[in-house]
Amino acid sequence: MNGIKGVLYREMRVLKSRIYRNILASSVSPLLFLLAFGYGIGRNSSVGQTGYIDFLIPGLIAMTSMNQSYGISSDINISRFYFKTFDEYLLAPVGRWEIITGEVIYGIIKGLIPVIIILIYGYIAGMRHIPSLMIVPALLIHLIIFSLLGIAVALKVKNHGDQFAVNAFVITPMIFLSGTFYPVDKMPLVVKYLAHIFPMTYTTSLIRGSVIGIETQYLVNFGISALIAAVLFWICMRIMRGMEP
Amino acid sequence: MLIEAVDLVKKFDKKAAVDGISLSVEAGESVALLGPNGAGKTTTVNMLTGLSNPTAGKILYNGKVFDSSDNTIKREIGVVPQHNNVDRDLTVEENLIVHCKLFGIKDIQKAVQDALDFSGLADHKDKTADKLSGGMKRRLVISRALLHKPKVLFLDEPTTGLDASVRRTLWSFIRSINKTHGCTVIMTTHYIEEAEMLSDRVIIMDNGKIAAEGKTKELKDSIGKFALDIYKENEIETIHFPTRHDAIAALENITTEARIREVTLEDVYLKITGRRIDA
Repeated sequence: MNGIKGVLYREMRVLKSRIYRNILASSVSPLLFLLAFGYGIGRNSSVGQTGYIDFLIPGLIAMTSMNQSYGISSDINISRFYFKTFDEYLLAPVGRWEIITGEVIYGIIKGLIPVIIILIYGYIAGMRHIPSLMIVPALLIHLIIFSLLGIAVALKVKNHGDQFAVNAFVITPMIFLSGTFYPVDKMPLVVKYLAHIFPMTYTTSLIRGSVIGIETQYLVNFGISALIAAVLFWICMRIMRGMEP
Repeated sequence: MLIEAVDLVKKFDKKAAVDGISLSVEAGESVALLGPNGAGKTTTVNMLTGLSNPTAGKILYNGKVFDSSDNTIKREIGVVPQHNNVDRDLTVEENLIVHCKLFGIKDIQKAVQDALDFSGLADHKDKTADKLSGGMKRRLVISRALLHKPKVLFLDEPTTGLDASVRRTLWSFIRSINKTHGCTVIMTTHYIEEAEMLSDRVIIMDNGKIAAEGKTKELKDSIGKFALDIYKENEIETIHFPTRHDAIAALENITTEARIREVTLEDVYLKITGRRIDA
């Protein structure tokens, strides 16, 4: 467990030194989306029996927490390519799974910061629902998946440019096609099928279900998400085993 | 034998960065891998420390085969990379604590205090690492590598980019690690003077191969003890002699500017490879 302790200590110290910047980043973007989508477009709309603000807030939680936990890829990237601090982990007598686990826990903690901020926004904006306890496993699996995805991308890319390409071609389309702002089943057939490629479709559904209680396939979505997390962990381990400076 | 590398090869795509080298290091020795940039020194150190796996060949520590997943052997190794890989957002003390945690050091407070005292950074322990000078960062990286009391310390170009006075301070620092603490030291350098000052034995590398190896004096004596530099229009011709007397005798027949000096490792490198080390 030394690897987990070492990685986590390091990452938490870095997070502490950047905490205000982090809170600001977690606050501004969801506020803008809330203003644009919640007030600009959907103020008097509803999705089924649910008011649009209540529908939107879980989507914003999923999107912003995903951005934060996936964002550890940039931190790892910088520590790999510029400061070479990642080599310290590779030289230490620790299992590679410990390094991955330490980074995932960091990703979860980082991803939880915006959840509280967005819930506060939600209640100020008039959200009526109170999240059930099911939000805990829903958020956990969501943040585990995107921390692992962040690690896999960070370890696989060969430079910072590649990282931007992944963000542009995978992460951004995923945000818009995974039911963050609109229900997936209201989308055109092709997009509906495409949405099911993205893990965020399942985790957004889980988070929304635990906040506003319209999830009918909680166990199925949780199972698929857990499977995705397991596959991503296996991919991370494979990349880590062959990793060289 | 503490470390033994047998027929090590490391290829990137199809190009061999290290091309079938074999070397051995005894416990307590101080060995320098000397060669120009691109000679394969860092790649060799990366393989010996488990940071990268060889394409072919094997590495043994105390007769036991080593690979990058062998955590028992990794505990005995300290590494000072070429790049000052300190966490700039973390304080000096926090940088040391990260290493303690990764290596499972029990008494972290004592280990950190010892490292701060040894490196002379005790007064700077609360400064973030980005506020340190180049020499201080280097001392931090070296003392961090010693926190877990490794049996062997690898230093990759320990003084590159530092000015002459800082370099000399670091030399005494590195010498004390080997001579006082009895830690085996393996370093890479492209500075002739550094290799001569800090090592008992030098391994000269060129194009991924070992061009020569031996004690500094033996290597120099193998080509002669004195060198006569003859300054010609566009070049310096160097001739080596076994004694100063022979060099003086040769000087008497030369009409252009010339000088006699002691043979250096640069002469050895030039003689073996046909190039200067900084070429």
